[in-house]
Amino acid sequence: MTQAATNTSDTSTSDLMVEMHNVNKWYGDFHVLRDIYLEVKRGERIVVCGPSGSGKSTLIRCINHLEEHQKGEIVVGGLPLTQDVKRIEQIRRSVGMVFQHFNLFPHLSVLENCCIAPMWVQKKPRKEAEALAMEYLERVRIAEQATKYPGQLSGGQQQRVAIARSLCMHPDVMLFDEPTSALDPEMIKEVLDVMVELAEEGMTMICVTHEMGFAKTVADRVIFMDQGQIIEENAPEPFFNNPQSERTQLFLSQILGH
Amino acid sequence: MIHNKETIPQRPAPKGTIGPVAWLRGNLFNGPINSIFTLLGLYVLYLLVVPTIQWAFIDADWVGDSREDCSRVGACWVFVNARFSQFMYGLYPSEEYWRANIVFAMFAGIIAWMVIPRLPFKRWMTLFALLIFPVIAYVLLHGGYFDLPRVSTHRWGGLMLTLLLASVGMIGALPIGIVLALGRRSNMPIVKTFCVIFIEFWRGVPLITILFMASVMLPLFLPSELNVDRLIRALIGLTLFQSAYMAEVIRGGLQAIPKGQDEAAAALGMTYWKRMGLIVMPQALKMMIPGIVNTFISLFKDTTLVMIIGLFDLLGIVQAALSDSRWLGFSVEGYVFAAFVFWIFCFSMSRYSQYLERKLNTGHKR
Repeated sequence: MTQAATNTSDTSTSDLMVEMHNVNKWYGDFHVLRDIYLEVKRGERIVVCGPSGSGKSTLIRCINHLEEHQKGEIVVGGLPLTQDVKRIEQIRRSVGMVFQHFNLFPHLSVLENCCIAPMWVQKKPRKEAEALAMEYLERVRIAEQATKYPGQLSGGQQQRVAIARSLCMHPDVMLFDEPTSALDPEMIKEVLDVMVELAEEGMTMICVTHEMGFAKTVADRVIFMDQGQIIEENAPEPFFNNPQSERTQLFLSQILGH
Repeated sequence: MIHNKETIPQRPAPKGTIGPVAWLRGNLFNGPINSIFTLLGLYVLYLLVVPTIQWAFIDADWVGDSREDCSRVGACWVFVNARFSQFMYGLYPSEEYWRANIVFAMFAGIIAWMVIPRLPFKRWMTLFALLIFPVIAYVLLHGGYFDLPRVSTHRWGGLMLTLLLASVGMIGALPIGIVLALGRRSNMPIVKTFCVIFIEFWRGVPLITILFMASVMLPLFLPSELNVDRLIRALIGLTLFQSAYMAEVIRGGLQAIPKGQDEAAAALGMTYWKRMGLIVMPQALKMMIPGIVNTFISLFKDTTLVMIIGLFDLLGIVQAALSDSRWLGFSVEGYVFAAFVFWIFCFSMSRYSQYLERKLNTGHKR
């Protein structure tokens, strides 16, 4: 188990959090990920964008083995991802994930949603887990709803709970899979605010998102994917102002052009 | 433009739209054709209900001890009265009824404890019911320990046997069904194939065949010194048969849980069994209550089939009593009584399941 180091935005070159070397994945005959090469340093914030079906969700879902890759090597926090169930669970404990559709557990209250993994995976006593959960619910500004059930909350509130639920496991890296795509426009900001705060605290983040404003404010690097390949990779300022490839230019003109 | 500057106060609904008269007009006498149907329906109901009540209660004989006491035109409940203890205990020796009574009382007590929400220690009660109660029940009913005379299982019968078969079947079928359903959804080919074959085999064979094979064929294959009790064989057959059905009900419920639930739990580092036990199963079981109870009810009624292997459950013992030459000609009373007892149990299960559904649904909407 890797030790969760203090969250600093220090990006020393040897301190790699996620490494993907020549990762390839197929769904049957369909080649979804093609020679993916990506290295994410501790404390780095990556935004992944691209047209739908370009493989961006699949890419981050490979990191915690929700999808299996067929070729190449993935290393998370120094541990190579193998077929071994124990190893997969070990890596998942240090990788938080936030889903497009929140995926809160509807039969558990907000507080229980946050406590269940610390209690059953990390074997923390209930008292300690609840205190931890309240601390993070406080951070995402939803502590007053702790006794409610997910079905009683708005989408934005649910997504903030989902973020708190992941943070309760003290992850080394957070994966965001289109966290605002299923939200009504007036709720996007409250989720993005929480994500920006998280980024400012130095959390290592990989976000699949179309929120270009978010990318501009917090990302260290923006990655553009198309047809299962990483097409372009750059700091946000040059990425948005001076995209290199034609496909990136087309994509940016489509999403920024209205 | 602003439409209303002031809030409109709540006004009463127009006359004739609420109250019993309005309900009658809206639902039963809504136009001439519906009125005719309503009146016709009431008449048919009258034709059916009045003679039934007349037969079962008003013209019935209740007390006595032989068929001569049944002089009236209605039902002869004297027959059921005289045979009541047999209907309850089968051929269990009457001086040992107290043992069965204790088991009955404990059984009823456990059910009541589990069903009444206010009572505490549900978890301990469940453990007691699953681990300790069966031992107590076996020791008491079977005897052979603590100076209790032995009562071999072929003398067990009546409602006692029906309840025994049904509760063992239910308690056994649910966990086996869960394991089979999970196995059938598994990615491991051997586990999956085994579960599919198991389920399809037991589901594809009639229960009568299974019971018959368990009682007649099995001893042919087993070494003669290994003499498994007939009741045990019937119990195993019944449980495995029902677990196959249960597995399919549960699989249906599991399929209704979105994949994202399992993924979210997996992303938190939970193992397969924790994901299933803490996240997927609790949600699925809640949705499956109607299906599970439906299987339980059909199991409860299927226990009557043990008749063909010579075990006398409630219906079996009633039928046996009908052929008694002193009580010939009272088959209607016997069957009505058996049907009524079965109905009471099945209806209670159905009502309890509806109550559970309502209770578990509050505030959990997705």
